[in-house]
Amino acid sequence: ISQHAIQRCSQWRCYASASSAGLSQDKITERVMTVIKLFEKISAEKLTIESHFMKELGLDSLDHVELLMAIEDEFGFEIPDQDAEKLNKPSDIIKYLCEKMEVDYK
Amino acid sequence: MSSAGGTLIRQAVKEAKPVFSATSEDARRRVLNLYRAWFRQLPYIIREYDVPLTLPMCRRKLRENFEKYRQVNDIRVIDLLVAKGQMELVETAHMWKQKTHVMDYFKQTVTPKPTDFLGKFFDGKEP
Repeated sequence: ISQHAIQRCSQWRCYASASSAGLSQDKITERVMTVIKLFEKISAEKLTIESHFMKELGLDSLDHVELLMAIEDEFGFEIPDQDAEKLNKPSDIIKYLCEKMEVDYK
Repeated sequence: MSSAGGTLIRQAVKEAKPVFSATSEDARRRVLNLYRAWFRQLPYIIREYDVPLTLPMCRRKLRENFEKYRQVNDIRVIDLLVAKGQMELVETAHMWKQKTHVMDYFKQTVTPKPTDFLGKFFDGKEP
């Protein structure tokens, strides 16, 4: 009986580390830039990693919200409001995602 | 005399009691969260109500409804608009509405005035 109980009670908790999931800063960068390029309100020529969404790419706040929602859907977790306000460039987004997913940011 | 008048004037100018949000930052967050909630609900609305709409059409309509109130700056008015939008979202999401209510968002409310001669004639205006 005790054997049975031990087998039933044992829980395996695996926290996947970022490296095991195959994430690196380059992969994150690639995914983020793909998502942003698919956004039709942004012209691909003006887009660089440092281009500001509102000032250079001409997005307004609702467009910014839509873009962040696309990134939330891509990476699978919610970005809270106070963090979302600060993410104004693709490089900010990449840095934030690296911090959240515990990938080394260079 | 003048001091009594002064205190009366100071009492008369009070701050309006806030509805939900105290600052415009708060109100902005509420608006953006409402937009997010509607945006996420749109695919389910299309599927559940079986409306003859596409997702881009719905998104444009959502954006249009938000742009209608872009110029509003009064925090209490913004809060009330957000509350009304939230109520609409709850009613739509719970399926308390019907297909016609959802299609009502796409109803034209202003009939365009006729410009050509026949249009004006049928309308009763003298040319």
